Amino acid sequence: MRAHRPDLLHFTAARRAALALTAAAFMIPAAASAQTITVWSGYPEMAPFYEHVAASMKDAYPDLKVNVEAIALREHEKRIALGLTSGSAGVTVIELAGSTASRYIENELLPAAPQAVSDFVSDEANFGSFFVEAASRDGTVYGVPLFRGQGSLFYNLDMFEAAGLKEPPKTMEEYTAYADKLTQRDANGNPTVSGWSLRLSGGGQGIAEKFWINLFQYGGSVIEPDGNGKWRANYANEAGRKTLNQYLQNVHVLKTVTPEMPADAEAFERGQTAMFIRESWVIADIAAKAPDLKYATAPLPRGSIGLPTNLYVNAVEGDDAEAAWAFTQAANEAENLVWLLDNVGWLPNRSGVDYTVVTDKVPAYGAFVDYPEDYAFFTLPAIGPIEEVLTRLAAQLTNAYGNPSLADDDAAIDAFLAKAAEETNTILKREGLLAE
Amino acid sequence: MLQRKRWRFAILAILPTLAIFAWVRMYPIAETLRLSLHEWNILSKNKPFIGLANFRELFQDQLFLTALVNTSIIAFGVLIVTIPTALVIAALIHHRTRSRFAGFYETSVFIPHVVSLVPAAMAWKWIFDAKLGPLNALLQMFGIPAQAWLFDPVLSVICIIVLCSWQALGYAVLIYLVGFKNLPVSLFEAAKLDGASGIQRFWHVSVPLLKPITLYVSVVTLISAFNVYAQAFVLASDSQGAPGRQVRVLVLDMLENSFRNYRVGYAASEAVVLLAIVLVLTLIQFGLLREKGRS
Repeated sequence: MRAHRPDLLHFTAARRAALALTAAAFMIPAAASAQTITVWSGYPEMAPFYEHVAASMKDAYPDLKVNVEAIALREHEKRIALGLTSGSAGVTVIELAGSTASRYIENELLPAAPQAVSDFVSDEANFGSFFVEAASRDGTVYGVPLFRGQGSLFYNLDMFEAAGLKEPPKTMEEYTAYADKLTQRDANGNPTVSGWSLRLSGGGQGIAEKFWINLFQYGGSVIEPDGNGKWRANYANEAGRKTLNQYLQNVHVLKTVTPEMPADAEAFERGQTAMFIRESWVIADIAAKAPDLKYATAPLPRGSIGLPTNLYVNAVEGDDAEAAWAFTQAANEAENLVWLLDNVGWLPNRSGVDYTVVTDKVPAYGAFVDYPEDYAFFTLPAIGPIEEVLTRLAAQLTNAYGNPSLADDDAAIDAFLAKAAEETNTILKREGLLAE
Repeated sequence: MLQRKRWRFAILAILPTLAIFAWVRMYPIAETLRLSLHEWNILSKNKPFIGLANFRELFQDQLFLTALVNTSIIAFGVLIVTIPTALVIAALIHHRTRSRFAGFYETSVFIPHVVSLVPAAMAWKWIFDAKLGPLNALLQMFGIPAQAWLFDPVLSVICIIVLCSWQALGYAVLIYLVGFKNLPVSLFEAAKLDGASGIQRFWHVSVPLLKPITLYVSVVTLISAFNVYAQAFVLASDSQGAPGRQVRVLVLDMLENSFRNYRVGYAASEAVVLLAIVLVLTLIQFGLLREKGRS
């Protein structure tokens, strides 16, 4: 037995050494390829852009693996709520509107950006103050600005010519007059091609956002600040009445559009509507789906929504987090931003980048970048209940749009708006945000 | 002693199943009940106890009340459409059991139940489309004006009832067919000898004997219909605002309150109301059908 013992020991030692070597052999590449990040987007059309950014980082991060997960916005919102609160998200770059991110920042679920990233964002040469504020809270930078939603009028040139219209409408009154002229009807007078496609139905807060864009042209807003961090409803007034009545006039009196007609970008691309208001992504969408469509864009009468979307990262420490923050900056490289505008159509927020290679090639971008000097912008306030305010207003507006008895009845419209505004103020009060 | 050993073995054998059941079924229900009494925004670590405040707010909330009414109409509509239709179809298929097409009949009725919900709902969305849909084209051939199926407040609810019934029918028919196959043949032969017609045999023999099946099918159909969500979501939702009225139903309202409005406690109170409604209705169904079954 003794004679065998050293052999056994020797064998065990050899086996241990072999195991250690094997483990080390596996660990070396594992350490080298340890950097893995996930990108969550609420816009499926953004997936190619993020993959493009990941490809552009290959030289600096040869072993970085980037998983791009772009899904519909409403599902994206649910994913963030569940993923961040359960801590199951891993190191993730999260694309989110500044107004929505505020809740997560308040609850310490999104960390402040590292100093180097903060310096990059705060540099006036990179971003205007509007975008820096949208990515910050109480002066601290949490996100990196990327792109914005900004509305302009899209109009069909052939239909304008056929209706004898030489230029786009310049006032909201002209919008209705133009819609009436542009509407195509069958022998019974029913519209077959809408003059002006309005958002009248569907789910979510989009209906209220579109209403707010029109309301803004009349000088109103869904909620207004009191200057002390509090808010109140601001649409139960003349601006609100004019806005709602314009919808009702078009739907029930002039019948330039009906709720059941095909709507939005899809309808525009198929020649089923003559004009509509939308963000710049429609330009790339038209290029892909209806390249022969003759159309142009124009700024809105007073101004537009400017809805900045930022990139956040749910961690600050570790290799993966470092790579994730580097990704947010790589997304803002000039070459990548020009690619974004050219291929996806969302408007990049970074200043000092020469976009003329795209804007010269596609004149439709003109309305989004060359607007009048006094052109005004508004954005969704970064307060917790903004989604609830808009979703509930959207449900009320859908009922109003379907109610012909409201058309031209100022008293009925005022009563409707007062009731809706009361609900808005109740939500603000519950959250301790109602202005006196 | 042996008895005790058997009991111990039985309890130990059933314990893992009971533990899993308690964890995946009972715990979430208990947690939902607890959450309904708290204010929680899903993000915060604090969940202050607020008693019945969520329930008080709920019954003044116009959107919740609309969702409650819509869901109830849809659930009872599906029940009223599905149960009699399934019973008649199952009787017809059973009557043709020996036909070489029997398998085809059963399969064609059951297919909608196994088809994935979202593509099926998309297909129905196209059928109901006011401008491009075949339903309006068919109506117009008979001089009936086109209808705004997915926007009109009443028609949009009817569309969901049709879609849910279409899906529920296959399962109900299948269960009824099993019931028909187990009915005693002697009773039908006796009724036939007494001169009962086919319809009379169906009405006076089959229907009373199938009451336990009817109870089961109606409970399953009603509970399933009260949980309607995807049908309403797909028929109305479209990122580009394609025509479709968002028919507000309870599950949709809960999801909106949880993940858009960040009010999980409030959404939990809606879930408790839904649970209570389904529970009460199920008990009523059990009571009615069992009582009549005995008499």
